Amino acid sequence: MTTNVPVIDSHAAPVAGRKNFLNCSSGFLSWAGTLDHKRIGIMYLVGVSLAFLAGGLFALLVRLHLWKPDGMLFDNVQYNQIFTLHGAFMVFIFVIPAIPGSLGNMVLPLMLGAKDVALPRLNLLSFYLWLAGALMATLAIVLGGFDTGWTFYAPYSLYTDQAVVTIGLAVFVLGFSSIFTGLNFIVTVHKLRAPGLTWFRMPLFVWAIYATAILQVLATPVLGITVLLVAFERLYHIGIFDPRLGGDPVLFEHFFWFYSHPAVYIMVLPAFGIVSELVSVHSRKPLFGYKLIAFSSLAIAIISFLVWGHHMFTSGQSTYALFAFSFLTFFVAIPTAIKEFSWVATIWKGSIALNAPMLYTLAFLIIFAIGGLTGVILGALNVDIHLHDTYFVVAHFHYVMMGSIALAFFAGLHHWWPKMFGVMYNETLAKIACGIIFVGFNTTFIPQFIMGSRGMPRRYATYVPDYMGFHQASTIGAMVLGAGVALMVFYLVASLFQGKKAMQNQWGGVTLDWLTPTPPPLENFDEAPVVTTEVYDYSTLDYKAMQTPVA
Amino acid sequence: MFALLIQDPVNINGPDRSPQQAVDAYGQLTKLASTFSHVDGLFYFTYAVCIFFFVLIVGVLLFSVVKYRRKTWDQLPASNTTHNTPLEVVWTVIPLIIVMIMFAWGYMGARDMTVVPLEASRNTYKASAKQWNWTFHYPNHPVASYNEVWLEVGKPVQFLLESSDVLHAFYLPAMRVKRDVIPGRYQSVWFTPTTVGEYHLFCAEYCGKDHSKMYAKVHVVDTATFNAPQRPWDQWEDSTPELAAKSGANLYSQLCIACHSVNGTPGVGPSWKGLFIKNADGTYTGRQREVIDNTDGGKRKTITVDDAYIIESVHLPEAKKVAEEPYVRNAMTAFPDLDERKVRGLIEYMKTLADTK
Amino acid sequence: MSHDGHHSVVIPAPGPEFVPHTVAHHFDTPVQEFQSMKLGFWLFLATEILLFGGLFAAYFYFHESYPETFRLGGHQLDWKLGALNTSVLLLSSWTMAMGVRSSQTSQKQKTLFFCGLTVLGAVIFMVIKFFEYRAKNEHGLIVFSELFHPYDLTTNSLPWFKDYDGVMAGVPHPHLFFAIYLTMTAIHGLHVVIGAGLILWIMKGTAKGRFHAGYYLPVDLVGLYWHLVDLIWIFLFPLLYLVP
Repeated sequence: MTTNVPVIDSHAAPVAGRKNFLNCSSGFLSWAGTLDHKRIGIMYLVGVSLAFLAGGLFALLVRLHLWKPDGMLFDNVQYNQIFTLHGAFMVFIFVIPAIPGSLGNMVLPLMLGAKDVALPRLNLLSFYLWLAGALMATLAIVLGGFDTGWTFYAPYSLYTDQAVVTIGLAVFVLGFSSIFTGLNFIVTVHKLRAPGLTWFRMPLFVWAIYATAILQVLATPVLGITVLLVAFERLYHIGIFDPRLGGDPVLFEHFFWFYSHPAVYIMVLPAFGIVSELVSVHSRKPLFGYKLIAFSSLAIAIISFLVWGHHMFTSGQSTYALFAFSFLTFFVAIPTAIKEFSWVATIWKGSIALNAPMLYTLAFLIIFAIGGLTGVILGALNVDIHLHDTYFVVAHFHYVMMGSIALAFFAGLHHWWPKMFGVMYNETLAKIACGIIFVGFNTTFIPQFIMGSRGMPRRYATYVPDYMGFHQASTIGAMVLGAGVALMVFYLVASLFQGKKAMQNQWGGVTLDWLTPTPPPLENFDEAPVVTTEVYDYSTLDYKAMQTPVA
Repeated sequence: MFALLIQDPVNINGPDRSPQQAVDAYGQLTKLASTFSHVDGLFYFTYAVCIFFFVLIVGVLLFSVVKYRRKTWDQLPASNTTHNTPLEVVWTVIPLIIVMIMFAWGYMGARDMTVVPLEASRNTYKASAKQWNWTFHYPNHPVASYNEVWLEVGKPVQFLLESSDVLHAFYLPAMRVKRDVIPGRYQSVWFTPTTVGEYHLFCAEYCGKDHSKMYAKVHVVDTATFNAPQRPWDQWEDSTPELAAKSGANLYSQLCIACHSVNGTPGVGPSWKGLFIKNADGTYTGRQREVIDNTDGGKRKTITVDDAYIIESVHLPEAKKVAEEPYVRNAMTAFPDLDERKVRGLIEYMKTLADTK
Repeated sequence: MSHDGHHSVVIPAPGPEFVPHTVAHHFDTPVQEFQSMKLGFWLFLATEILLFGGLFAAYFYFHESYPETFRLGGHQLDWKLGALNTSVLLLSSWTMAMGVRSSQTSQKQKTLFFCGLTVLGAVIFMVIKFFEYRAKNEHGLIVFSELFHPYDLTTNSLPWFKDYDGVMAGVPHPHLFFAIYLTMTAIHGLHVVIGAGLILWIMKGTAKGRFHAGYYLPVDLVGLYWHLVDLIWIFLFPLLYLVP
């Protein structure tokens, strides 16, 4: 993609002393009250990273406790609270806002050639709602914790004597943060594209964020009303979920999964977007099947509204419902498979750079293959009846949510880190950390597949001795994984203080985000860009003339 | 009672968790002990398909990474192909066909598991779940059993599932059956046990504090053992007070321990310690206790603890409520199925917890 | 926020009593700003409808499960007051539309007049709602003073549902209708109050001359919000008061 703007000297070192969004103003208020999408993105980045570390800490506690069949560290109530905290923090405070909030905010307007998102004040409000939700969730811990699991299944969530109302309202607030982010991005994509940037010239990250945004806007309100109803049930006993009062707990499950299944795609579609982007840039090749990938994102978004029942195959639905939900579930597998094949085909015969972002991307591709394929196993009705609510499911969704989404987030972070901060991290350490994370992750979750298919139920504070070996292997893996993440945090933070200056166009990308100074100026482009070429056209850059980047 | 206030130091014993379940030839599933072999069949079919695609994807990926690795900064890709319509059609249609096979196979299997055959419905057990134990009622025998259940090998069986508090799930990995137990409605599962042995029964839907300890053991026994005059689940030894107390202690650890302590610690319900007082001559006297008598218009009375009071409290807990906070507020689950012999076992056990005068 | 080298687009005021509008710095044209805001607001309205959608789904589910409860419960509501409230809201939608129209034609006094009438409509609506709630309270169908008291485990009953006159005797789970009635109308009432607050804010801006033919976007959006509040009531009224 080129522009009629005299593009920055693509691969040159940044101009010293140039004003950018980081140093154009300083002081606490210049950040806390900023309307700049890049600064808001960085605030999100800091926030979700802290949430991820907190959630990760809870995960390590869970794994340590399960070293022995009778548990090591906690009594049962404490264990139940900690796995709930892990789930709630990771899902609502980390994974859902992570990529749209941080990288989406940072990159989307750049890729569109816009000066900002369409509604900057709403964007800041989204961030503060996220912050309020995160603080309320923390308050719920202070108030004694909550032990319902992140799914808040009724009627247990109605009876337990813990801080369910507080965490429910926290989820409600976080939901509106997510809704406003999605709403903002939809408007931005529709109204703020640079001249010449047609729909099919948009980078696939934009497509993915757009599809995500539709889900955020259409699915999250149902979650909002559901947690609100749980809070009302506890406050004045409406009775709609409480079997003592004529209510139906299964209705809660329907409400909850009507949101939470699309939510899976709210989480994973942005990850797909990042991977599409990175696979192309680091193979220096246009994406294979661009339109198919773009449409498959939308197809997934639509079908995802129709498959929530597959979380409830054992709840006694009619065989007609089982038939429909299972059929549609298998249908989601197709667009997902198309994406994976297209990524591999893009890499095929590319010019493959084995730098840190690409290594994280390759790790994603391998792990997501497992995560996706095991989803197919779970889609089969009779097999799911056996595997439902076992560690097989736990391992499957961790392969998707941790192994795929978090790794894609890391990949994107490494990819856009030089763009955001103008510095490069230590690539050798990055590659080592990626390897440790990959090994640690698989060591953690492969044993969980096996013990799951052998019958180990999830959410168990203690277990029968049959599964001890698998649990111990999993715990060792989790420690390795934790060490890898700690190393990553270390070199990323260190790079801010002593990282080498990044190049203007560190990876040789041709989307608009790479065709503006690094780090970008306050309003993104010195002159408004006009797009005249197709997307991912790498022939527009003269790589020979560019300075070889120093890692 | 749904609140989870107590932190009882005593572990719930229940049935022991041995033996370890046998594993099938491929090591992924417990050895199948029912007739639902289609679960294993489809599981391994899908597994094989997954391994095939995984090897294909990762193989191409790693091959590309090695072969087309960028050696110099300005290296351009070996090809710029962005479309290959036949290829794209192939990788859309072939997975579609494969998943449709899986869908049909899985659906037929699930229908088999959902539709209860007549023979199984004539052999209907009832499994009642409550936090955190299982009570089993047998088709042609009045005596119930707790956290252990006996089945006849080769005979199709249906379990009618009910919950008196929150969601639970009836999960028998070796039989490949699982069903959520939902308060306010009946659910059912059926299967035919094919192999004599002992099997784990787990609660697979999170149900609160001791979810992980909500464990029952399924004994599949041969026809002769099952139909013996002394039914295997009807082994209640009470020929002497000591044996009765031992049986009672066992029952306590299955049903009562969640709410009643035996060391004086207050719980959801009152502790059993010192309900009786042991006299110097070895006889027992009941303690005096303030109660609200709901059978007499909610009057406040002082009564003496005796067998009749305890039997009434087990069968109809709301009849006489201990007039102390929080017990007067907390509701106890009624156990109308505990026959008098079993309650007497509990009483003998209570007497071992008596205070001495 | 400073933006060196960028010239902001300014929409001139139509008269001395009005204030010119500066288009936000990241928009190139007023049309782009207008369309973006409008699209965003429509999406927001969609989320509102989905939020109520959950409540409507619950309503239909339990109406299906306990039709007798809902039929009898519906008879306890005063359909005349409901109809009156429906007329009030419909009328206020018309005054709101007139207010928006006046703003689009830079008629300051008329805008203030019609917006004021709309707020008056909101007040009347809430007053009638208050009398309806009070009647429910008197008959023990919703005892507000005991609304947040815990469920009574010993008698298996709800403290806030007393039904002094026994009008709901004999139907299963009679409280369900009133719980759903209360939840839906209270959330709707909250929207009425928020809407009235927004209209007051619009009136303040109008009085200062910020909204005129060149820039009436906020008035337009608040108008849309008010119509949504009205629209939801149009569904609530027959479902709750005229249960089939």
